[in-house]
This record gives sequence, C-alpha cells and structure tokens, in this order.
Amino acid sequence: MNRDNLIGLTDLLLFIFIVILSLVGLAILYSATNQNLDIVLRQSSRLLFCFVLMLSICFIDTNKLKIFTPYIYIASILLLLFTLFWGHDSKGATRWIILFGFSFQVSEILKIILPMTLAWYLSISDDKEIDIKKLFFSLIIIFLPIVFILKQPDLGTSLIVLICGMITLFLSGLKTKHISFIVISFLTIAPLLWKFLLLPYQKQRILTLIDPGSDPLGSGYHIIQSKIAVGSGGFFGKGFLNGTQSQLEFLPERGTDFIFAVFAEEFGFFGVIILFLFYSIIIFRFILITLRAKGYFAKILSGSITSIFILLIITNISMAIGVLPVVGVTLPLLSLGGSSLLSIFFAFGIMFSIARRS
Amino acid sequence: MRKSILDFSRVNAEKIFNNRFYILLTVLLLLVFLILVRLYYLQVISYDHFDTLSETNRIKYVQTSPRRGIIFDRNNLVLADNSSLYSAQINIKEATNIKKIIEDVDKEINLTKKEIENFYEKKIKYAHLNNIVLKGNLSEEEVAKILSIRYKHDGLDVTASLLRRYPYKKITSHVIGSIGYIDKKDLLNLDKKKYRNTEYIGKTGIEKFYEDTLYGVPGYRHVEINAKGRELRDIEKKPAFPGDDIYLTIDINLQKYMYSLLSGYVGSSIAMNPKNGEILGMISTPAIDPNKKLWKYEIDQDEIKKLNSPLFNRSVNGLYSPGSTIKPIVALSGMHHEVINSLDEYYAGPFFQLPTSSRRFRDWKPEGHGMVDIKKSIIQSCDVYFYMVANKLGIEKLSSFYKYFSFGSKTGIDMPNESAGVLPSKEWKFKNIGYKWTDGDTVISGIGQGYFLTTPLQLVYAASIIANKGTISIPKLNINSKPKKNSEILKIEEFLKNNISLEDWNLINDAMFKVVNKKNGTAYWSTNNKKNNIAGKTGTVQVYEISQDDDRKDDKEIPDHLKDHSLYIGYAPADKPEIVVATIIENVGSGSKYAAPISNKIINYYLDNVRNNFE
Repeated sequence: MNRDNLIGLTDLLLFIFIVILSLVGLAILYSATNQNLDIVLRQSSRLLFCFVLMLSICFIDTNKLKIFTPYIYIASILLLLFTLFWGHDSKGATRWIILFGFSFQVSEILKIILPMTLAWYLSISDDKEIDIKKLFFSLIIIFLPIVFILKQPDLGTSLIVLICGMITLFLSGLKTKHISFIVISFLTIAPLLWKFLLLPYQKQRILTLIDPGSDPLGSGYHIIQSKIAVGSGGFFGKGFLNGTQSQLEFLPERGTDFIFAVFAEEFGFFGVIILFLFYSIIIFRFILITLRAKGYFAKILSGSITSIFILLIITNISMAIGVLPVVGVTLPLLSLGGSSLLSIFFAFGIMFSIARRS
Repeated sequence: MRKSILDFSRVNAEKIFNNRFYILLTVLLLLVFLILVRLYYLQVISYDHFDTLSETNRIKYVQTSPRRGIIFDRNNLVLADNSSLYSAQINIKEATNIKKIIEDVDKEINLTKKEIENFYEKKIKYAHLNNIVLKGNLSEEEVAKILSIRYKHDGLDVTASLLRRYPYKKITSHVIGSIGYIDKKDLLNLDKKKYRNTEYIGKTGIEKFYEDTLYGVPGYRHVEINAKGRELRDIEKKPAFPGDDIYLTIDINLQKYMYSLLSGYVGSSIAMNPKNGEILGMISTPAIDPNKKLWKYEIDQDEIKKLNSPLFNRSVNGLYSPGSTIKPIVALSGMHHEVINSLDEYYAGPFFQLPTSSRRFRDWKPEGHGMVDIKKSIIQSCDVYFYMVANKLGIEKLSSFYKYFSFGSKTGIDMPNESAGVLPSKEWKFKNIGYKWTDGDTVISGIGQGYFLTTPLQLVYAASIIANKGTISIPKLNINSKPKKNSEILKIEEFLKNNISLEDWNLINDAMFKVVNKKNGTAYWSTNNKKNNIAGKTGTVQVYEISQDDDRKDDKEIPDHLKDHSLYIGYAPADKPEIVVATIIENVGSGSKYAAPISNKIINYYLDNVRNNFE
C-alpha cells in the first residue's frame, strides 16, 4: 500500500483534523482575547511556522530521528541550564529564554524529548528487558531535566514531565515490582515534599482545590470563575463571542490555561462533545499509527506520544472544571502559546514520520 | 518457566508493549469518561446554579437616589436646595492598596494632613459603607486630575453627590436642621432597601421631621459590569421619583430680622400667627452654619466648644422656668376657682410669709407694691400677690390649670424630639427629687419658679391661647399641614371657652395691654412704637437663689452665668391678635430690659413691614 501521497503526508485524515482544530483554536482565541486580532495573527504565524516544522520532521526517517535523539536530549539539557542562568523572569519564575527573537519555554518541549530519549535508550540493546541497571539510567535520564525545571521553579511542569517519562517506562514493560517500588517510595516521600519542597502558593493551589470558597478572591478565584464559565454555558452555550464570563474578563488566563472554559461557556455541552469527537479522531489515528509502527523505538515513542497527548487534554480540562490544581498545562492545539504549540507539532511530525515507515 | 517469561524476544516485547498500551489507554479513556460525566453535571444538571452565578457576576443592581425635595419659605424663597458636589472617593471593599491610592492622589491634588487623617477615621467609623470620601468639594481641575489616574487604581473614583445648600446659613439653622451622613444609629430604624445608595438622611429640624416627604422614591438600574467593576451598559432602568418640596410658614424676612436681634445672645425667640398656628419665625442662638457640615460630615468641634451648645435647639428643647410670664394664667386660675376677683384689693408688702413658717418670699420690688388688685399685679408684676393666689389655690388646682396651656405636654408642632417640659406636682417631686412637696413649693409656683420648666415653644403656644381668649391653634411649620386637634385638646378648648368668662379673658388682656402701654407697666419702656397695641408680659428668672434676707445684688456684680434669664411673651394688636411672640434670653438680666424690647421690635416689624407687604 502506498502511503506516500502528494505532500508526503501519510495520514490525510489526521492532517485535516489537525488543521480544523488549529482553526477552532484561533477562533476561540479571538473570543478569549476580547477580539484582539493582533494576538490571533501572531498565533497564526506561530501555527504556520509549526506546520512547516511538522512537515519537515515528517520527511525525516524514524531511524535518523533515533540517531539524533541523544544529541537533542543533550541540547535541551543545555538549554535548560541556559534558562536557569540567562532566562528571563516572569511572575517570580525563570522559565523563558529568547531564541531568535522568540521567547521559548524549554521545559515544554521536554514533554516530548524525554519520552523520545527513553525510547532511544531502551531500544538500543537487543534485550528489551528493563533490568535494575537500565532502570537506574532511565531514572537519571528522567530526573536530570526535572531537577533543572524544579529549580526555575516550575513544579507543575516538573510533574508533567515526570509523568511523561513514567508513561514511556511503563509502556516499555517496566517490571511490576519496580512499579510498586516507585509508587511506594513516592508515597513515602510525598509528605516530605509537601513539607519541604512546596512553596506556600503551591500548597495554597492544592488546598483551594479542595475548598475554593476558602479564598474566593485569592487563589480560589480562578477555579470558581472557571467553573461558573463552564457551568453557565449550559447545553448549547451562550454563543460565539457572547460568553459573559470571558468577554467581561471574570475568567482569568483565558487564552492559555482556561481556554477550555471559554469554549465550554460559548458552545456548551454540545460543543464540548463535538470538540471531544475531533480530538478522538486525532487520537484514533494516533492509536492506529502506534499499532502499525515498525520497530521498537517507533512503537514506544508513538505509544508515549499518544498517551501524553490524551493526558495533556485531560489535565487541562480537569483544571478548568476544578478537579486538578492549576498546574499550567495548555490545551493542545487550542491554547495560546508558542512553546507548547512547538512541542505538540514536533510530536505530530514524529507521528507522521512513523506512519510513513509502517 | 520463569526464564521463558523473562525472555524478551522482539515478539514478546511487542506483546508486552501492546498489553501496557491497552491498559494505559483504558485508564486514560476512563478518565475522559469521568471528565464527561463531570461536564454533564456542571453544564446540564447544575446549569441553573451556574447561570445565576454568572448573572450575578455580570449584573449589578444600582439604586439611584431621588432628588431631595426643596424647602421654601412662605413667600417661595428657597431655604434649602441641592447642587452637585464632586468628591474623590475610595471604595474600601474594592481597593487593593489604599495607601498607594492616597499617595498618588496626594501627588495630583495635594491633600492636607487633616484630610488624610479624616479619611482613616471615617474608614473606621463608617466601615459598613463601601465608599469613603477622601476629599470633597473638588474643583473642576481636581476632578480632571483624579480622573486621569483613576485607571491605575481599582476602587478610586470621582462621584457627584448631593450637596444640600442652606442659603440662609445660621439664620435658619435650627428650624430647617440639616442632613448628614447616615450613621450606624440611623441604620437601626431605617428602611435599608430604600436608602441602599443614599449617603444622607435628615438629621435635625424640618429635614428630619419631613424626611419621608423630602426623600422621594429611589429608582434603580441593572448595569452590566466587567470583572473590574467598570459599568458597561444599562440593562434595565427605572428613574427615581423626586421628593416633594415643602413650603414653610416661616417668613424669611422676619426670620432674618429676628436673628439679627438675637445674635450675640444665647436664647430663643418664636413668632407665631395665633389665628392658625403658623410659625412665622423661630430662632435659637447661638447657631452654626449647616453648610459647613456637609463636606466634612462632621461639625467643626472647635467651633462648637467656643459657642454655648450651638447645636441645641432651644426653641423646642430648651427648658426654662417661665417666671412672671405665667402670672396671667395664675390670675385666670384664681378667678376661675374664685379665690380672687376683680374687685378685691390686697396689700402686697415686701414679702409673703406662710403662717407656719418664717421663710420670707420676697417681692422683686424691695419696698413692695402696696394695695394691688389683679390688674395692677399683672401690670407691675407683683410677686407677693401671686404668692398669695398660689397659696390659696394649692398645687393641684394650679398644676391642672397650667395643663390647659400645654405645660407638661408637647404642643404637637411638626419638629422632631420636642420636649414636654416639667409640670410639677406632689407625685412628680417625690418621684424625681425624692422629697415631699411643701407649701413653699406651691408659693413659688405662683410666679413660675421652682420645678416648673417650659420650652419657648410652649410659652408662645400659651400666649396664643391667652391672645385668642381660649381658642387653640396648634403650632406648625409646614404651611400645607393641617394639624388635627385631638380629643384632649378639644376638651381643653371647650373648657377654656365655656368655663372661663369673657370678662376674665378681657381683664387679663387689658392688664397685659397695660404692661406695655401704661407708664408703670413693666414693659412700658421697652418700645416707643405704641400704635400696634401690643400686649405682653415680662418675666425674670433667677438662675441663682439669693438667700432670704440678702438684698438683691446689682446686675454688674453677678458673673454672667449666674445672671437672670430674661423672658417675655407678647402679642398684637391686643384686640385682634395677628402675631404672638415669646422670647427667652439666657443670663442677661430682667425681662423688661432684654426680651421685651426685642420681642416688641419683632412684633412691630412684622405688623409694619412684613404683614403689610403681603396684604
């Protein structure tokens, strides 16, 4: 079967839905920013750039990608270090660096690069069994960037990156006893982390999740307003550009963290179902690509990307409906922001590339 | 066996991966399902709840205060009206950094230290309010400057609020009263719904008594607001209904004239039309300009301390012994109970003595008046004669007769917190002083001294009944109000007209006419203008009690606060009265010297200038 069609796109349906969701994203961003065309145009140009990047990666052979992987990992570690020393501050954290005139959040791209590196590491030996030595080095690969991200400090992203790494380990057949060991040791040190590692505002975020009413104008405000936005959308929504929670600016961080709340307010439960259908089509194509993938590296990587893609959607929406603390995870394809867009389209490129070889 | 499981061939590794992948997908899809359930719960099941929350977020109910009614005098001259006052306010519930706001405002318009201090004081005192004024009475330039920095601070705003203006300042200060910031005490007995967006309420005088009339009916607006509280557009609107204007019976020209005569003294003077109870002028001094209260919401405490209780409305709350102004009523009572009659003469020496006691009740005239009858005793204000009458009557008869002239009860004027005064009786003394009533107490009641206390308003009311020969007019300030005489008043009126003979009334009227118009009358020298046929009665009330045998000291030797109160009641023309005046001046000296000339000037001014002008 010839999967190489016109522009080298191996999966037209996937491509079409990526385009559709990107356009939905631009439209909802237009509403979320109070019809600020400037921001929408800037996001459009980022999207264009990302599409170009995706198409370029899609032509790279998966094997070549595998060879490049350790270098990409090392480069991203260096960029994280660079961020720590020369990054610029925003809201008390140093998360950004300026690359070629664009500000860039390196930790975002690690959500993809870390699984990629693990997939590379675990696939180089013929024996795919994860013994204690492999587990040890895997954990080093995982925690090296996480330490730097924690330093920024960015607990939310650290946790997400950690989970991304763990997903890859899990998919690669991490032994049950090792899983239990990791889970138990995490549960043991969690109270210590709470006591010594978490900053007061981070603790507050978690506490307000349990009782947002305890601080309705402070850290509970985001959660309360977001829930109101989602709930008041009803079944059919208030209509495009008519969401009072978003248009009148009651909803904070509308373009990024809470873009889903804007969508849910204006398009209602019905719109949410449609959105989920669109995402489902992408995920369904991802699953097919994963199942058809040739080679251990490709399989582990595509499986990880599929799972992580679903996980990011779940995490972001859970924030908007008040079941997870505000950890700063964007909604793939809909949220404003360059770095997360870049990492998502980087992942799409990899998926297309894997699809070509299968 | 164990080896084969751990034999990770390529095929086996893929199998394990697929297994794991399916497990993970199942878990993730389960989570997606839970999210969908949660979304269904939020958007479909709890929709009404969140819809309400979102509406209350965006829609603000704003009450619009009605325009307050204007107060006019009887000739349609404005006594109180409204204008806009621009003030810089801070919404203390919205503001995030009050200190910073004040610093920035200070940079723009230079606040004084006192203004800043006042703000913090008010912030504590009126903590139940949202908006506290930082600086009132802004100029246009200051308004522009503050508006230019408003966008930087949530909670800072410039508002136009009601400025109540009292163009006659001190002259009408007590009768009109003033409005003031609603305080915690007002909140207790206030329709909070009605006053939701109103800062002011009538505090004293007419402003308080007619609060409901003047206030009007508030309107409302439903406004859409954004998250910062900025108003975007009106969704629904109902305009406020302005308060009703009030026309007073006061004649501002007479009021002005009265004030000019009383300013400098401490006291009160009231002029009333005896035919209908209309108060033509009502003065209480000292007074302070009510306009000053508004910008500070507080009265200047220093100014108050300098003056002698300037906020106290002596006209309706000042309590004084009536002194000799009561004598015509004692005479009426004596004739009614037939202890005296117009033909009898009586020898009045320098003092009166009860048969059982050695105490001497002295006359104001050291040598005594000699042979006197009722008329002469009133004209010359003979104390000894009235000691005798009171003693013969006894306190019960005397007190119950005083009651007919409103003493001891409120007149029913349309002013808030009117005092009832004190009408002494045996029970009253025992209850309030703790001692038994003595015959001596009765004797001095005959010349209006002792425990007997009246307000200037009660005096003018009593004088009007004498002038009307028994017809009662309830005093009023609102020209459109028609005070109803209650059954008790009607009973009293019937008694005064039927049980007191016209001859008795005429005798008293004639005596009072002669007080002013006969050479030896106590008020003869008080006016040169006799053509208006004024009738009157002076009174001099001792503030400090001289011992029995001391000769009265000369006025000049007595310190100011122990000097006598000067009283006078008068009306004119005697045969067909059109004005009745009562005046009390505190701590100056005799009634003949101060209260009588002032009152007679008022009467003449009214009859010569004011009345003629509008007839």
